[in-house]
Amino acid sequence: MYITVDNQNTFVATGGKPFNPNLPTVVLLHGSGTDHRGWALQARWFAFHGYSVFAPDMPAHSLSAGEALTSIEAMGAWLVRALDAAKVSNVHLIGHSQGFLVALEAAVLLSKRLLSVTAMATASAIPVNPALIETAQKDPALAAQMMLQWGFGNQHQYGASAVPGMQPIGIGQRIMANNPLAIDLAACNAYTAGSKRAQQLASEGCASCVILAAQDRMTPKKEGFKLAQDLGTHAQVIADTGHMLPMEAPKQSLSIMKTFIQTLEK
Amino acid sequence: MSKSSFLGADTIALHSGYQPESDHGSRAVPIYQTTSYVFDSVDEASALFNVEQGGHIYSRITNPTVAVLEQRLAALEGGAGAICTASGMSALFVTFFSLCSAGDHIVSAAQIYGSTVTLLKHTLKRFNIDCTFVDINDQDALAGAIQDNTKLIFCESIGNPGLAVSNLPAIADTAHQQGIPVVVDATFATPYLNNPIQHGADVVVHSVTKWIGGHGVAVGGVVIDGGNFDWLKSGRFPTLTQPYEPFHGMNFWEEFGPAALAMRIRCESMRDIGAAMTPHNAFLLLQGLETLNLRMQQHVTNAQAMVAWLQQQDAVAWVNHPDINADAHTKTLFPKGAGSMLTFGVKGGRDAGAAFINALQLSSNLANVGDSRTLVLHPGSTTHSRLSETDLVAAGISADLIRVSVGIETVKDIQADFGLGLRAAAKVAMAQLAQTEA
Ligand SMILES: Cc1ncc(COP(=O)(O)O)c(C=O)c1O
Repeated sequence: MYITVDNQNTFVATGGKPFNPNLPTVVLLHGSGTDHRGWALQARWFAFHGYSVFAPDMPAHSLSAGEALTSIEAMGAWLVRALDAAKVSNVHLIGHSQGFLVALEAAVLLSKRLLSVTAMATASAIPVNPALIETAQKDPALAAQMMLQWGFGNQHQYGASAVPGMQPIGIGQRIMANNPLAIDLAACNAYTAGSKRAQQLASEGCASCVILAAQDRMTPKKEGFKLAQDLGTHAQVIADTGHMLPMEAPKQSLSIMKTFIQTLEK
Repeated sequence: MSKSSFLGADTIALHSGYQPESDHGSRAVPIYQTTSYVFDSVDEASALFNVEQGGHIYSRITNPTVAVLEQRLAALEGGAGAICTASGMSALFVTFFSLCSAGDHIVSAAQIYGSTVTLLKHTLKRFNIDCTFVDINDQDALAGAIQDNTKLIFCESIGNPGLAVSNLPAIADTAHQQGIPVVVDATFATPYLNNPIQHGADVVVHSVTKWIGGHGVAVGGVVIDGGNFDWLKSGRFPTLTQPYEPFHGMNFWEEFGPAALAMRIRCESMRDIGAAMTPHNAFLLLQGLETLNLRMQQHVTNAQAMVAWLQQQDAVAWVNHPDINADAHTKTLFPKGAGSMLTFGVKGGRDAGAAFINALQLSSNLANVGDSRTLVLHPGSTTHSRLSETDLVAAGISADLIRVSVGIETVKDIQADFGLGLRAAAKVAMAQLAQTEA
């Protein structure tokens, strides 16, 4: 669906069902330079099993208009305005990589409307090599290639695909090369409040789930374990996958996500 | 440049899309000779049907062995995804069928494979899809042929039978200026010699039957979605950018973006037309693909040697190969050589051509190309035998034309074989001369 946020046309994937703001809403937040399509499979499951799905393209990403936001804090605040625009009441926030940093910022603003947070292949801080940011400014396609070479795990480097016949590296490359990757990476690099925010959520008793990838070379799992500690939970690690976890292991990641959220709902 | 893999082409051809499976560690890609797949539970079945989960349901739609070939070819061509089909013709059909509806229009290169001409000129016409044929390297003619309802520009990267090389960057420029995608049949080039997506093509089709298989034992096709075309911005493709009711109301562009076309073909054409590749054929074609790069080197080396040799033979009237007096774009697009097809004429016309073919012992006289063995055909006495001399000329085929798909045999043996043919052709030519003089 398209909604208007800050006067800008904004795309929000709803998992193939009309959006119903009165159901508990699963918010799926994409990582740097990517878009809602990384969540295609998980989104449909939630949408067809009693939840509403809200998977936005951040401003200036893929199908959303507007200017790219330059800080994680601004992205978190934008997300809350987007949820308000869609009249969403209760949310489970799920973020991949940068998307989880955005979730942390939004979580604090959502207070009672927040039901849980789920972190996927991420950490409380995501420092980015300045050379990569510079490459992303000058040659986004090359930077996307570097990130995907680093980002996908071994199976996907050898052409594996959860959807028969597809090339996730080829798909990711085209999406990232056309999105404001450099701005996203700079925002990640500048963000330092993650650990504090995570601890704050834990102290408020927010339910949380951390899913890590065994072959993650972008946000190494030891950083993910620290995040889990900040959130007061245990991390679960999926074998044979890299940083692009939602695309690389949709079935395994969904299984953990849905068990966590369904248990909370009970 | 868009990449789909960070492995080199030789490695992709051998490894992409398959890593030894965990049950038995089979090094070779197993043949999943099955029509269907057991669901773990009712929940899993409904998740698969509702696209909440990737996986296999029924082999008309997807099959694990076929998927390896698809993923490998997508990686080799640098695409976003691929769909294998029962033949090259069905790959072309599902591509046109997915991009066009009744009332739409295609602009095609005039010099293309004969069955593709009939598909575009007669078969699709019955469904009210029109086609205008143009000289594809004449950009003014191409731009002039585009209409409001034009949905795609079609060409072969190396055209059949004239062997003209399509100037892909120029064609893509003309097409993209008007929001139209370029579909390229790259059968004669193979992914080893040229990757059309890198030069602006949006969709690539191969008859996998030919060089990719190489053994000449299995028919198959593939459509590779280049993933770079913005179907929404173009505004011409409701089949990809609006909900498709018969498949969960899916909006392929919103849901799959760069792989929208591949997924539309999967969800509509494979379901409703069902021109699926069999797992056994996928396995055979994978055996060929694994050595494509090595074979192509020999194909091209042999073709170049044959061109040079034929040019020196008295009985030969003319020789055509895209590398002879190559255009600038041919040199840029085909730095490793423009394929292993050549045509030549023997002195003495149609009868001498027929005598050439009849005298051959090593080379096979048949209607195929891209086998590892050398193949020859004399269209004037076979496929086009019913045409008058004038009609032959209009079809770009002179009466003396012999089409050769140069194989990978020891080149001196091909030359010796052609020597037999040329001697027989020369006898006919001499007899004709004697008759004229008498
Ligand atoms: C250029 C070209 N495209 C397509 C085809 C059709 O392929 P198939 O025979 O696999 O259907 C051929 C067959 O000769 C061909 O030469």
